[in-house]
Amino acid sequence: MNPFSLRGSLRLRLLVSTLFWIILSIIVAGWGLGKLFHQHVEAQFVAELKNHLDQLTAQLLLNEQNQPQLKIAPSDPRLNKPLSGLYWQIGQLDNTNHPEEKVLLRSRSLWDETLSVPTDILADGEIHQHRIDGPHARDPIRHPPVLEISQEQIDHPLPRREGTAWLTALDQLARFQRIFHLKAPAQDAGVVLRVLERSVTIHSHTLRLMVAADESQMAEPVMNFKGQLWLALVILGAGLTLAALMQVMIGLAPLKSLHAALGRVRNGDTQKMEGTFPSEIMPLVNEFNSVLVQNAAVVERARTQAGNLAHALKTPLSVLANAANSPQKKEDKLAHLVLAQVNAVRKQADYHLSRAQAAASVLLPGMRTPVKAVVQGLVRVMQRVYAERNLEFELFPVDEALAFRGEEQDLQEMLGNLIDNASKWATSRIEIQVECILGKLSVRIDDDGRGIAEKERVHLIKRGVRADEKVPGTGLGLAIVEDLANMYGGELSLKKSHLGGLSASLTLPVA
Amino acid sequence: MRILVVEDDANLAAQLVEGIHAAGYVVDVAGSGSDAHFMGDTEPYDAVVLDIGLPQMDGITVLKKWRAAGRTMPVLILTARDTWHEKVAGIDAGADADDYLTKPFQMEELLARLRALIRRAGGHASTELVCGPLTLDTRSRRASVDGTALALTSHEYLVLAYLMHHQGEIVSRGELIEHIYAQDFDRDSNTVEVFIARLRKKLPPGLIETERGLGYRLTKAQ
Repeated sequence: MNPFSLRGSLRLRLLVSTLFWIILSIIVAGWGLGKLFHQHVEAQFVAELKNHLDQLTAQLLLNEQNQPQLKIAPSDPRLNKPLSGLYWQIGQLDNTNHPEEKVLLRSRSLWDETLSVPTDILADGEIHQHRIDGPHARDPIRHPPVLEISQEQIDHPLPRREGTAWLTALDQLARFQRIFHLKAPAQDAGVVLRVLERSVTIHSHTLRLMVAADESQMAEPVMNFKGQLWLALVILGAGLTLAALMQVMIGLAPLKSLHAALGRVRNGDTQKMEGTFPSEIMPLVNEFNSVLVQNAAVVERARTQAGNLAHALKTPLSVLANAANSPQKKEDKLAHLVLAQVNAVRKQADYHLSRAQAAASVLLPGMRTPVKAVVQGLVRVMQRVYAERNLEFELFPVDEALAFRGEEQDLQEMLGNLIDNASKWATSRIEIQVECILGKLSVRIDDDGRGIAEKERVHLIKRGVRADEKVPGTGLGLAIVEDLANMYGGELSLKKSHLGGLSASLTLPVA
Repeated sequence: MRILVVEDDANLAAQLVEGIHAAGYVVDVAGSGSDAHFMGDTEPYDAVVLDIGLPQMDGITVLKKWRAAGRTMPVLILTARDTWHEKVAGIDAGADADDYLTKPFQMEELLARLRALIRRAGGHASTELVCGPLTLDTRSRRASVDGTALALTSHEYLVLAYLMHHQGEIVSRGELIEHIYAQDFDRDSNTVEVFIARLRKKLPPGLIETERGLGYRLTKAQ
């Protein structure tokens, strides 16, 4: 499985889901904060306008002609700078039924423009907000307003003045009225003004006070803030991503050690999973270990039961065999039958008991048996058992670290049978060589006996076949070795030895 | 020669006693591990036939305890399970048994192994023990002087065999009694003197020396 596919990788899953939420949160936070700041700036903007409006209202009075007049002109320098973006205007509503505005006073900054706000009727002192298209609010020096001069014919009848040609020409001229008009440059047409208006009624004159400012003034701090905000959010996002990466790495690190611990069990380095794991993983490890212990207990129980069965079966068999074998019964047919049957039962029991044992043990992980100690132990046993025959056992040097991936008892059974077999047939010398060849444990046992003919060798491995009845033994030895070796994925082969006798080679998995 | 048979199955124990006794040994029986341990620890046996599967205390444990206590008599273990694991456990892994035999076994095989063990324990390579003109064949239980067979009673044979296995060593009267009589036999040290006297009459003079206050010694006659 590809370790980097989303389905296959826990790391990728965690990273992708975390990154998704980080990015989403940052976008939402950026948008939300920008919005909040915009609202805040707008509130300030409106508050400032209101301040100006209040000032204007406070300075307003009517002169004798009932014309509005300001006691002191508003002080903000922007109000005197043409098209600065801050304006005020005082108008009058002529008729409440057909309101038609007449501009009475306006700020210098408005230049030739007026603030044309839709007329609405307000209660006295009430403030209303409008957004209107306004004159451009740029720096008039850098973007000077365009001066438009248009002429139009004044369409009123000329007085007839006969004989005064120059006057006629003058009249002709007078027929045109020049209109000077400052217009904002075309590209600045999009300027939007925020207007605060308030109706004030003095001596039954309803005046319309307006203060307006270019909304683009708000945009600048908002843009600045947003620029910094997004920069900060990108840095935050990068930090969070890094944190997520580290979290995933650190968080998933125990899985790596879990893997290693499992590997050690599989290789047989340890019998159970060792090490301390996080509290989320520890229960798994404990469960796994208890399964291992349980398995081992099952195998042990199977072994014990096989042992008990063997004991229970073979002691009565011994009694039967001894009774049938007494010298007085040499000619007794029944005694012969009993002896033969006892022998048959024994063979069957031995064969099936060892198979049962092997079948159970192969299932166990975590098995590792150093070979050297087992071989040395077996050689000592053979030396003692065959002490009479003065056999020479030559065990070539064995690497201490070389280990069999499997049960000690099974290795003892296989090697024991092979060395015992060699000892039975050897004249004087047995050679044992244990090596690791091509990643496999290889054990070769040679004897200097009379050997076995090639066609007999295959036959010999078959269950219960004995090459010669002269040497005590069940004849099962090689068959059991073959079975056990096969169960471990190894194999047994027999060939002629350089010593003259039989050479038995066993290959087994190495741990 | 006194043998301890440790076997919990009464039938098999009886057969073993019968067979071993018939071969000219004195036999004691223990039916459990703890009895066996006690007997092997307190009585001098020339060899032990030890079953591994025993109640109370298994054979391997009994053997390990004996060995730990310095008891060095040869031990032949009987195993029901024909596994090398058990054989290694019995012979190599601290238990130090001398040989094994798998059940079911043949009595002749067991006796042959037993004889070999006793002989090896005495440092003798052959089944025939020789002391000067005297030859003792442990297999056929016959003694002869210069090829002439001696007629010996079973007790005389036991005394002579014990002395032959311990040639040149001083063997006390008590030691002889312990090795020629079973545990529950009514022992009388005077009988040993009777057997020695009878043997001296049948053997060439000077073979059995008396060490005053210590015991007897079998030496090669000058």
